[in-house]
Amino acid sequence: MAETEDRENLLGEYEPLHPRADGGAPKPMSAICDPSKLAHRVLVLVFMCFLGFGSYFCYDNPAALQIQVQQDMNLNTSKFMLLYAWYSWPNVILCFLGGFLLDRVFGIRLGTVIFSLFVCAGQVIFAAGALFNAFWLMEAGRFVFGIGGESLAVAQNTYAVSWFKGKELNLVFGLQLSMARLGSTVNMNIMGWVYGRVQSTLGSAGHTTLGATLMIAAVTCLFSLVCALILGFLDKRAEKILNKEQGKTGEVIKLSDVKEFSLSLWLIFIICVAYYAAIFPFIGLGQVFFIEKFNFSPAEARAVNSIVYIISAPASPILGFLVDRTGKNVVWVMCAVFATLAAHMMLAFTFWNPWIAMCLLGVSYSLLACALWPMVAFLVPEHQLGTAYGFMQSIQNLGLALIAMAAGAILDHRGYLFLEVFFCACICMALIAVVLLYLVDFLRGGDLNLSASARARLRGSSTSDSE
Amino acid sequence: MASDVNTTPLHVLFSLLVLQFATGFIFDGDKYKRQVSFELNPGLNASSPLPPGVGLLHVRALGASDTLHFLLSSLGAPALMLVHTNSSSSSVKVDWRRFLSGNTSGSLQVVPESSVQYSSALVFTRVWEYEDSNDTADPQRLCGGDGGPSFANGSFCLQISAFGSGGRDPVWPGLLHSANSSQLRVWLDGVTPRSNFSRFFLELQTVGRSELQSRVDIVRSIDDEYTPSIFQVSQWVSSPPNVTSPVLGYTQWKPVAYRNATPSLELAAPCRHTGPLPLPRLPPSGLVGAYFGDGYQASGLNVTFGIAGDPLYNATKYLSWTVLVGVGSPPVDSFSPVVMVIMAVGLGTPMLLILLGGVYICVRKKRAEPLAYEPIN
Repeated sequence: MAETEDRENLLGEYEPLHPRADGGAPKPMSAICDPSKLAHRVLVLVFMCFLGFGSYFCYDNPAALQIQVQQDMNLNTSKFMLLYAWYSWPNVILCFLGGFLLDRVFGIRLGTVIFSLFVCAGQVIFAAGALFNAFWLMEAGRFVFGIGGESLAVAQNTYAVSWFKGKELNLVFGLQLSMARLGSTVNMNIMGWVYGRVQSTLGSAGHTTLGATLMIAAVTCLFSLVCALILGFLDKRAEKILNKEQGKTGEVIKLSDVKEFSLSLWLIFIICVAYYAAIFPFIGLGQVFFIEKFNFSPAEARAVNSIVYIISAPASPILGFLVDRTGKNVVWVMCAVFATLAAHMMLAFTFWNPWIAMCLLGVSYSLLACALWPMVAFLVPEHQLGTAYGFMQSIQNLGLALIAMAAGAILDHRGYLFLEVFFCACICMALIAVVLLYLVDFLRGGDLNLSASARARLRGSSTSDSE
Repeated sequence: MASDVNTTPLHVLFSLLVLQFATGFIFDGDKYKRQVSFELNPGLNASSPLPPGVGLLHVRALGASDTLHFLLSSLGAPALMLVHTNSSSSSVKVDWRRFLSGNTSGSLQVVPESSVQYSSALVFTRVWEYEDSNDTADPQRLCGGDGGPSFANGSFCLQISAFGSGGRDPVWPGLLHSANSSQLRVWLDGVTPRSNFSRFFLELQTVGRSELQSRVDIVRSIDDEYTPSIFQVSQWVSSPPNVTSPVLGYTQWKPVAYRNATPSLELAAPCRHTGPLPLPRLPPSGLVGAYFGDGYQASGLNVTFGIAGDPLYNATKYLSWTVLVGVGSPPVDSFSPVVMVIMAVGLGTPMLLILLGGVYICVRKKRAEPLAYEPIN
């Protein structure tokens, strides 16, 4: 921590003594080293944010290098999309297990390091597959990467709760999400350039160039692993100093709860699967689509493809605030689905500048995330929340894996128009589910679509009832 | 340097497709039907033997009151000639002795001459090979030349399909055709490249009446169902100089070639073409020399296969490209019924639900309102 020591001397910040809870020998600590101070928490937050950077950066490596991957590895689109499917497969099960593993088996600190190791190893195997020109090895790499990736996000949230609960938690969640989007955006816009540099160094394109490029991307995962280790250390230190317990996800998964899920919840699951199926696989294939349909340069195509993530970074907290203040979640979800449908139809049936459609997609994607996920909490009692969210993520991953494979095959055989029509059909499915959700909620007198003030009134009366 | 097509080992494959659909499908715009028959070397008697590799295929597409004659010959540069007559009894006459001696105008006739409405020819004058060591896909250094190895091995093949009715080729690029068109597929198979960075391009010429204008229109289309990832179709049309008058004949292609005999998306090579230029002389094709004379002019363009970054010819040693040649206006693609049905159901169902749900909710609210004012007891 020499670096922080220097900064401390430069700033001349000396904190007064702190009474210690465990009554051990008090020692003067600067704010940045004192776990109970904001300055230290900000330091922790920096590591927390970069913890997920590597996995978000590398998740969309295939999309950023679609042309190169397909050419160097001699793949058709169906095979290319398998790289995304293999990422999703382990998470169909791990979404249930991630919380359990963190709480009961590894503990948050060791668990985070282990998941970071998986992410690192996965990316290295992925890159090695390209180096040795073995596509099966690349698929294996994506599988290992998938095992680490989603669970690492759970660990990241758990750390956030453990350090910031009752303080700046929402802001921290927002920052983490923005950081994730930043990782995706940087990846989309920089990997093509990195590949170009490697190509000019090695003298030719080919699977070796691809492998070397992906190895360079693996450095971000290594960086995240270092963050995991530092976080583990800081968390351990804070535990000693503050007598603070190790963070827990608190998730309890009981699969038998599934049969108690209401119709509304199932409709939300359908929306989730159908909606995200038309977003992530589309972004995975987007770059070449913009090049071929709209005659974009590769750099511009990458930029327009990443605009969804760029918009999502600032829009998520703003729209989250908006939805929180107004309530009416179902109406917001419906708006988001409509806007997405409009965006996809623009991309399918017009030659309008795709920046318009992609910006619309970016806003509606952020809006949906803000309005859809909290609805689960209104429908399920708290002790079932873990199961409900786990189940939702699980079938989301199942959907993504299947749709990714279907999208690749459709593109190979029927082209982009048909692919876009397929995505429109997915969104229409989501739209049907939203309309049904609205009707079911209306008929059963549910509170999904209440305005925020009515919801507050309801909460007030229910607490007075219980008293 | 160029390789004149007639000096290369040439195999003109005569294959004839007569597609008859029992019932015209709703979305196949052109329902006009023709009876298609073909004849190899019409009027040739055994006394005058053909030089090796030379042949003349005559395809006769007989309509209700008109006839289309397609003639494909490999004498000189391979050429496809199209003659449209307004008589159902017009025929092709060949003076074989003069035809084979070459350079004799009038040795091939379509009689009665007064019935001829429109005639044109598409000639594959040259296959060019160029060295693309900088990977620009821009022809700068042509291969071969004086004393260099000649264009050897491999084959340049032409396959013609004539159609009795409208439809679509099941093989990519899946061009839509009508009874007024025929399709040529050209492929370059197994040629040993003369440099390590060889790419190819084709020099094409069309012959038409000199008063007609020749231009290439690029039509953008949102529909790439039939030719995945290709959103354009190029049409080399000839029309009277008057802008509003309809197109008389066309050569249509999608800007894509495939690097394998079984086309797939990852083996697609985008094509580009240069603008058509009027040429001072008619192309060196036996068919053109035999039929066209004064009052006809040629214009030419080059079609290059592959763009910068695409694999070179070496990678698969195969390139195939397809054009459609016909009279009248070029066929226009439309959405497939599957797309229309999916969109109709996809958009219709939620709209219907919203409508029914809206009505139901209104009714419920109306009925619930008076209840609200009734006393509880």
